[in-house]
Amino acid sequence: MVIVAPPRTEPAFNGPEKSQLEAWLDYHRATLLLKCSGLSFEQLATAAVPPSTLTLLGLLRHMTIVEQYWFHQIFADHDVVPAYDSPDDPDVEFNDLQSATIEEVERDFLDASERSRVIVSNADLSSLARAAQPSTPIDLRWICVHMIEEYARHNGHADLLRERIDGATGD
Amino acid sequence: MQEPDRHEPPHAGSERELLETFLDYYRGTLLVKCAGLNEEQLRRRTCEPSTLTLLGLVRHMTNVEQNWFQRIFLGLEVDFVYHGQRDRDREFNDLDGTTSDQVERDFLAVCEQSRAIGEAHDLDEFERRSNDEWRVNLRWIYVHLIEEYARHCGHADLLRERIDGATGD
Repeated sequence: MVIVAPPRTEPAFNGPEKSQLEAWLDYHRATLLLKCSGLSFEQLATAAVPPSTLTLLGLLRHMTIVEQYWFHQIFADHDVVPAYDSPDDPDVEFNDLQSATIEEVERDFLDASERSRVIVSNADLSSLARAAQPSTPIDLRWICVHMIEEYARHNGHADLLRERIDGATGD
Repeated sequence: MQEPDRHEPPHAGSERELLETFLDYYRGTLLVKCAGLNEEQLRRRTCEPSTLTLLGLVRHMTNVEQNWFQRIFLGLEVDFVYHGQRDRDREFNDLDGTTSDQVERDFLAVCEQSRAIGEAHDLDEFERRSNDEWRVNLRWIYVHLIEEYARHCGHADLLRERIDGATGD
Protein backbone atom coordinates (compact mmCIF):
# COMPACT_ATOMS: atom_id res chain seq x y z
CA MET A 1 0.00 0.00 0.00
CA VAL A 2 1.20 3.48 -0.78
CA ILE A 3 -0.28 6.86 0.08
CA VAL A 4 -2.04 8.42 -2.91
CA ALA A 5 -1.53 12.14 -3.44
CA PRO A 6 -4.77 13.83 -2.37
CA PRO A 7 -6.48 16.59 -4.31
CA ARG A 8 -4.98 19.88 -3.17
CA THR A 9 -6.61 23.26 -3.61
CA GLU A 10 -4.64 26.54 -3.72
CA PRO A 11 -6.00 28.87 -1.05
CA ALA A 12 -8.24 31.57 -2.51
CA PHE A 13 -6.28 34.78 -3.12
CA ASN A 14 -8.53 36.98 -1.07
CA GLY A 15 -11.43 36.79 1.30
CA PRO A 16 -12.11 36.87 5.02
CA GLU A 17 -9.83 35.69 7.78
CA LYS A 18 -11.38 32.38 8.70
CA SER A 19 -11.77 30.96 5.21
CA GLN A 20 -8.14 31.84 4.44
CA LEU A 21 -6.80 30.16 7.57
CA GLU A 22 -8.90 27.04 6.95
CA ALA A 23 -7.74 26.89 3.34
CA TRP A 24 -4.04 27.24 4.20
CA LEU A 25 -4.36 24.56 6.86
CA ASP A 26 -5.91 22.15 4.40
CA TYR A 27 -3.31 23.04 1.79
CA HIS A 28 -0.49 22.04 4.14
CA ARG A 29 -2.25 18.90 5.35
CA ALA A 30 -2.50 17.83 1.72
CA THR A 31 1.10 18.86 1.03
CA LEU A 32 2.40 16.54 3.73
CA LEU A 33 0.47 13.62 2.21
CA LEU A 34 1.75 14.62 -1.23
CA LYS A 35 5.33 14.46 0.03
CA CYS A 36 4.62 10.94 1.38
CA SER A 37 2.75 9.69 -1.69
CA GLY A 38 3.96 6.77 -3.75
CA LEU A 39 6.70 5.65 -1.36
CA SER A 40 7.21 2.25 0.29
CA PHE A 41 7.17 1.76 4.05
CA GLU A 42 10.94 1.48 4.01
CA GLN A 43 11.31 4.77 2.12
CA LEU A 44 8.85 6.53 4.41
CA ALA A 45 10.79 5.28 7.44
CA THR A 46 14.22 6.34 6.13
CA ALA A 47 16.09 9.06 8.03
CA ALA A 48 17.32 10.50 4.74
CA VAL A 49 19.03 13.65 6.10
CA PRO A 50 21.26 12.39 8.92
CA PRO A 51 22.23 13.33 11.60
CA SER A 52 18.56 14.37 11.78
CA THR A 53 16.40 11.40 12.74
CA LEU A 54 13.35 12.85 10.98
CA THR A 55 11.41 10.62 8.58
CA LEU A 56 8.36 11.28 6.42
CA LEU A 57 6.37 8.65 8.33
CA GLY A 58 7.43 10.21 11.62
CA LEU A 59 6.26 13.63 10.43
CA LEU A 60 2.84 12.26 9.46
CA ARG A 61 2.50 10.55 12.84
CA HIS A 62 3.70 13.69 14.62
CA MET A 63 1.17 15.96 12.90
CA THR A 64 -1.61 13.50 13.78
CA ILE A 65 -1.01 13.93 17.50
CA VAL A 66 -0.39 17.67 17.06
CA GLU A 67 -3.88 17.96 15.50
CA GLN A 68 -5.26 15.96 18.44
CA TYR A 69 -3.41 18.08 20.98
CA TRP A 70 -4.20 21.61 19.79
CA PHE A 71 -7.67 21.27 18.28
CA HIS A 72 -9.27 18.32 20.09
CA GLN A 73 -7.67 18.49 23.52
CA ILE A 74 -6.59 22.08 24.23
CA PHE A 75 -9.20 23.98 22.22
CA ALA A 76 -12.27 21.72 22.44
CA ASP A 77 -11.40 19.94 25.72
CA HIS A 78 -12.35 16.56 24.30
CA ASP A 79 -11.12 13.38 25.91
CA VAL A 80 -8.29 12.42 23.61
CA VAL A 81 -6.42 9.16 23.26
CA PRO A 82 -3.23 10.14 21.42
CA ALA A 83 -2.72 8.05 18.31
CA TYR A 84 0.87 7.45 19.45
CA ASP A 85 1.80 7.44 23.11
CA SER A 86 4.38 5.89 25.39
CA PRO A 87 5.20 6.50 29.03
CA ASP A 88 8.87 5.87 28.23
CA ASP A 89 9.37 8.00 25.12
CA PRO A 90 7.93 11.51 24.62
CA ASP A 91 8.92 11.29 20.94
CA VAL A 92 7.45 7.85 20.35
CA GLU A 93 5.64 9.03 17.22
CA PHE A 94 8.99 9.76 15.60
CA ASN A 95 10.90 6.83 17.04
CA ASP A 96 8.72 3.70 17.05
CA LEU A 97 7.77 3.61 13.39
CA GLN A 98 7.06 -0.12 13.27
CA SER A 99 4.01 0.21 15.53
CA ALA A 100 1.58 1.01 12.70
CA THR A 101 1.14 0.30 8.99
CA ILE A 102 1.01 2.99 6.31
CA GLU A 103 -2.77 2.47 6.06
CA GLU A 104 -3.22 2.97 9.79
CA VAL A 105 -1.03 6.07 9.88
CA GLU A 106 -2.82 7.65 6.94
CA ARG A 107 -6.27 6.80 8.31
CA ASP A 108 -5.48 8.21 11.78
CA PHE A 109 -4.07 11.37 10.18
CA LEU A 110 -7.15 11.86 8.00
CA ASP A 111 -9.51 11.16 10.92
CA ALA A 112 -7.72 13.62 13.20
CA SER A 113 -7.66 16.29 10.48
CA GLU A 114 -11.36 15.85 9.77
CA ARG A 115 -12.24 16.16 13.43
CA SER A 116 -10.17 19.35 13.64
CA ARG A 117 -11.90 20.72 10.56
CA VAL A 118 -15.33 20.28 12.19
CA ILE A 119 -14.16 21.90 15.44
CA VAL A 120 -12.79 24.95 13.60
CA SER A 121 -15.80 25.35 11.33
CA ASN A 122 -18.12 25.53 14.35
CA ALA A 123 -16.12 28.07 16.35
CA ASP A 124 -15.19 31.71 16.26
CA LEU A 125 -11.50 32.56 15.84
CA SER A 126 -11.59 34.72 18.94
CA SER A 127 -12.97 31.98 21.17
CA LEU A 128 -10.60 30.80 23.86
CA ALA A 129 -9.27 27.30 24.25
CA ARG A 130 -11.21 25.47 26.95
CA ALA A 131 -8.32 23.45 28.31
CA ALA A 132 -5.58 26.10 28.25
CA GLN A 133 -3.96 27.21 31.49
CA PRO A 134 -6.05 30.06 32.94
CA SER A 135 -2.88 32.13 33.23
CA THR A 136 -2.23 31.85 29.48
CA PRO A 137 -5.41 32.25 27.41
CA ILE A 138 -5.05 30.85 23.90
CA ASP A 139 -7.49 31.72 21.14
CA LEU A 140 -8.43 29.66 18.10
CA ARG A 141 -6.82 32.29 15.86
CA TRP A 142 -3.41 31.60 17.39
CA ILE A 143 -3.92 27.84 17.15
CA CYS A 144 -4.79 28.07 13.44
CA VAL A 145 -1.83 30.28 12.53
CA HIS A 146 0.48 28.18 14.68
CA MET A 147 -0.71 25.00 12.97
CA ILE A 148 -0.15 26.54 9.53
CA GLU A 149 3.43 27.49 10.40
CA GLU A 150 4.10 24.16 12.12
CA TYR A 151 2.85 22.24 9.08
CA ALA A 152 4.79 24.49 6.73
CA ARG A 153 8.01 24.09 8.69
CA HIS A 154 7.68 20.31 8.77
CA ASN A 155 6.80 20.34 5.08
CA GLY A 156 10.15 22.07 4.58
CA HIS A 157 11.73 19.09 6.33
CA ALA A 158 9.62 16.81 4.14
CA ASP A 159 10.88 18.59 1.00
CA LEU A 160 14.50 17.71 1.71
CA LEU A 161 13.74 14.21 2.98
CA ARG A 162 11.77 13.42 -0.17
CA GLU A 163 14.36 14.88 -2.52
CA ARG A 164 17.03 12.65 -1.00
CA ILE A 165 14.79 9.57 -1.19
CA ASP A 166 13.81 9.72 -4.86
CA GLY A 167 14.74 13.15 -6.19
CA ALA A 168 11.16 14.44 -6.23
CA THR A 169 10.81 18.17 -5.57
CA GLY A 170 8.11 20.82 -5.79
CA ASP A 171 5.73 22.87 -3.68
CA MET B 1 25.30 37.23 11.11
CA GLN B 2 24.07 38.06 14.57
CA GLU B 3 21.33 36.30 16.47
CA PRO B 4 18.37 38.74 16.41
CA ASP B 5 15.90 39.55 19.15
CA ARG B 6 12.99 37.24 18.54
CA HIS B 7 9.64 37.50 20.31
CA GLU B 8 7.05 34.75 20.68
CA PRO B 9 3.69 35.84 19.24
CA PRO B 10 1.00 36.44 21.89
CA HIS B 11 -1.30 33.45 22.35
CA ALA B 12 -4.47 35.51 21.95
CA GLY B 13 -5.22 38.82 20.30
CA SER B 14 -6.28 40.58 17.15
CA GLU B 15 -5.78 39.25 13.65
CA ARG B 16 -3.32 42.00 12.75
CA GLU B 17 -1.24 41.63 15.90
CA LEU B 18 -0.97 37.90 15.34
CA LEU B 19 -0.04 38.13 11.65
CA GLU B 20 2.57 40.83 12.22
CA THR B 21 4.18 39.06 15.16
CA PHE B 22 4.26 35.63 13.52
CA LEU B 23 5.84 37.10 10.40
CA ASP B 24 8.47 38.90 12.49
CA TYR B 25 9.08 35.73 14.48
CA TYR B 26 9.94 33.89 11.29
CA ARG B 27 12.09 36.68 9.87
CA GLY B 28 14.02 36.32 13.12
CA THR B 29 14.10 32.52 12.92
CA LEU B 30 15.79 32.58 9.53
CA LEU B 31 18.53 34.80 10.94
CA VAL B 32 18.84 32.56 14.02
CA LYS B 33 19.56 29.64 11.69
CA CYS B 34 22.33 31.66 10.00
CA ALA B 35 23.85 33.19 13.14
CA GLY B 36 27.49 32.52 13.98
CA LEU B 37 28.45 30.80 10.72
CA ASN B 38 31.28 31.86 8.40
CA GLU B 39 30.98 32.78 4.72
CA GLU B 40 31.85 29.28 3.53
CA GLN B 41 29.37 27.57 5.85
CA LEU B 42 26.57 29.91 4.78
CA ARG B 43 27.25 29.02 1.12
CA ARG B 44 27.53 25.26 1.61
CA ARG B 45 25.04 22.91 -0.09
CA THR B 46 24.68 20.49 2.79
CA CYS B 47 21.54 18.62 1.70
CA GLU B 48 22.50 17.63 -1.82
CA PRO B 49 21.07 16.96 -4.33
CA SER B 50 19.23 20.08 -3.15
CA THR B 51 21.11 23.24 -4.15
CA LEU B 52 19.70 25.19 -1.19
CA THR B 53 22.05 27.14 1.07
CA LEU B 54 21.41 29.28 4.13
CA LEU B 55 22.71 32.42 2.41
CA GLY B 56 20.60 31.64 -0.65
CA LEU B 57 17.51 31.42 1.55
CA VAL B 58 18.11 34.88 3.06
CA ARG B 59 18.69 36.35 -0.40
CA HIS B 60 15.55 34.62 -1.68
CA MET B 61 13.37 35.94 1.13
CA THR B 62 14.74 39.45 0.52
CA ASN B 63 13.44 39.27 -3.04
CA VAL B 64 10.20 37.67 -1.85
CA GLU B 65 9.53 40.51 0.63
CA GLN B 66 10.09 43.06 -2.14
CA ASN B 67 7.92 41.12 -4.55
CA TRP B 68 4.83 40.82 -2.34
CA PHE B 69 4.82 44.08 -0.43
CA GLN B 70 6.35 46.52 -2.95
CA ARG B 71 5.80 45.13 -6.44
CA ILE B 72 2.48 43.32 -6.03
CA PHE B 73 0.71 45.04 -3.16
CA LEU B 74 1.82 48.62 -3.87
CA GLY B 75 2.30 48.08 -7.60
CA LEU B 76 5.78 49.68 -7.62
CA GLU B 77 8.33 48.86 -10.33
CA VAL B 78 11.22 48.33 -7.94
CA ASP B 79 14.32 46.33 -8.85
CA PHE B 80 14.99 43.23 -6.83
CA VAL B 81 18.05 43.38 -4.59
CA TYR B 82 19.38 40.27 -6.33
CA HIS B 83 19.81 39.96 -10.06
CA GLY B 84 17.17 42.16 -11.58
CA GLN B 85 13.86 40.68 -12.57
CA ARG B 86 14.37 37.83 -15.01
CA ASP B 87 15.80 34.61 -13.61
CA ARG B 88 13.85 33.69 -10.51
CA ASP B 89 16.33 31.25 -9.00
CA ARG B 90 19.56 33.17 -9.38
CA GLU B 91 19.38 34.55 -5.87
CA PHE B 92 19.65 30.93 -4.69
CA ASN B 93 22.14 29.48 -7.07
CA ASP B 94 24.45 32.29 -8.13
CA LEU B 95 25.87 33.32 -4.78
CA ASP B 96 28.01 36.23 -5.93
CA GLY B 97 30.59 37.96 -3.78
CA THR B 98 28.05 39.82 -1.67
CA THR B 99 29.20 39.28 1.92
CA SER B 100 26.86 37.86 4.52
CA ASP B 101 27.00 41.20 6.38
CA GLN B 102 25.69 42.97 3.30
CA VAL B 103 23.05 40.26 2.71
CA GLU B 104 21.90 40.68 6.31
CA ARG B 105 21.74 44.50 6.01
CA ASP B 106 19.72 44.31 2.79
CA PHE B 107 17.38 41.73 4.30
CA LEU B 108 16.74 43.81 7.41
CA ALA B 109 16.20 46.97 5.36
CA VAL B 110 13.69 45.28 3.07
CA CYS B 111 11.85 43.74 6.04
CA GLU B 112 11.59 47.18 7.60
CA GLN B 113 10.08 48.53 4.37
CA SER B 114 7.57 45.66 4.34
CA ARG B 115 6.65 46.32 7.96
CA ALA B 116 5.91 49.98 7.21
CA ILE B 117 3.78 49.07 4.19
CA GLY B 118 1.84 46.42 6.10
CA GLU B 119 1.13 48.66 9.06
CA ALA B 120 -0.25 51.43 6.83
CA HIS B 121 -2.90 49.35 5.09
CA ASP B 122 -6.02 47.41 5.96
CA LEU B 123 -5.85 43.62 5.76
CA ASP B 124 -8.84 43.60 3.40
CA GLU B 125 -7.15 45.98 1.00
CA PHE B 126 -6.39 44.57 -2.44
CA GLU B 127 -3.12 44.64 -4.31
CA ARG B 128 -2.63 47.43 -6.87
CA ARG B 129 -0.75 45.34 -9.45
CA SER B 130 -3.88 43.88 -10.94
CA ASN B 131 -7.60 44.19 -10.73
CA ASP B 132 -8.76 40.71 -11.66
CA GLU B 133 -10.36 37.94 -9.64
CA TRP B 134 -6.91 36.56 -8.81
CA ARG B 135 -5.82 39.69 -7.01
CA VAL B 136 -4.65 39.12 -3.46
CA ASN B 137 -5.52 41.07 -0.37
CA LEU B 138 -3.00 42.07 2.28
CA ARG B 139 -4.26 39.31 4.57
CA TRP B 140 -3.34 36.67 1.99
CA ILE B 141 0.15 38.15 1.66
CA TYR B 142 0.74 37.94 5.42
CA VAL B 143 -0.46 34.35 5.75
CA HIS B 144 1.41 33.30 2.64
CA LEU B 145 4.65 34.88 3.84
CA ILE B 146 4.32 33.21 7.24
CA GLU B 147 3.96 29.80 5.60
CA GLU B 148 6.68 30.51 3.04
CA TYR B 149 9.13 31.59 5.75
CA ALA B 150 8.17 28.60 7.89
CA ARG B 151 8.72 26.17 5.04
CA HIS B 152 12.11 27.67 4.19
CA CYS B 153 13.01 27.65 7.89
CA GLY B 154 12.31 23.90 7.75
CA HIS B 155 14.91 23.74 4.99
CA ALA B 156 17.21 25.89 7.11
CA ASP B 157 16.79 23.53 10.08
CA LEU B 158 18.24 20.61 8.15
CA LEU B 159 20.91 22.66 6.35
CA ARG B 160 22.14 24.03 9.68
CA GLU B 161 22.09 20.70 11.48
CA ARG B 162 24.40 19.26 8.82
CA ILE B 163 26.81 22.21 9.13
CA ASP B 164 27.44 22.20 12.87
CA GLY B 165 24.81 19.99 14.50
CA ALA B 166 22.78 22.94 15.82
CA THR B 167 19.02 22.29 16.11
CA GLY B 168 16.00 23.96 17.69
CA ASP B 169 13.01 26.13 16.89
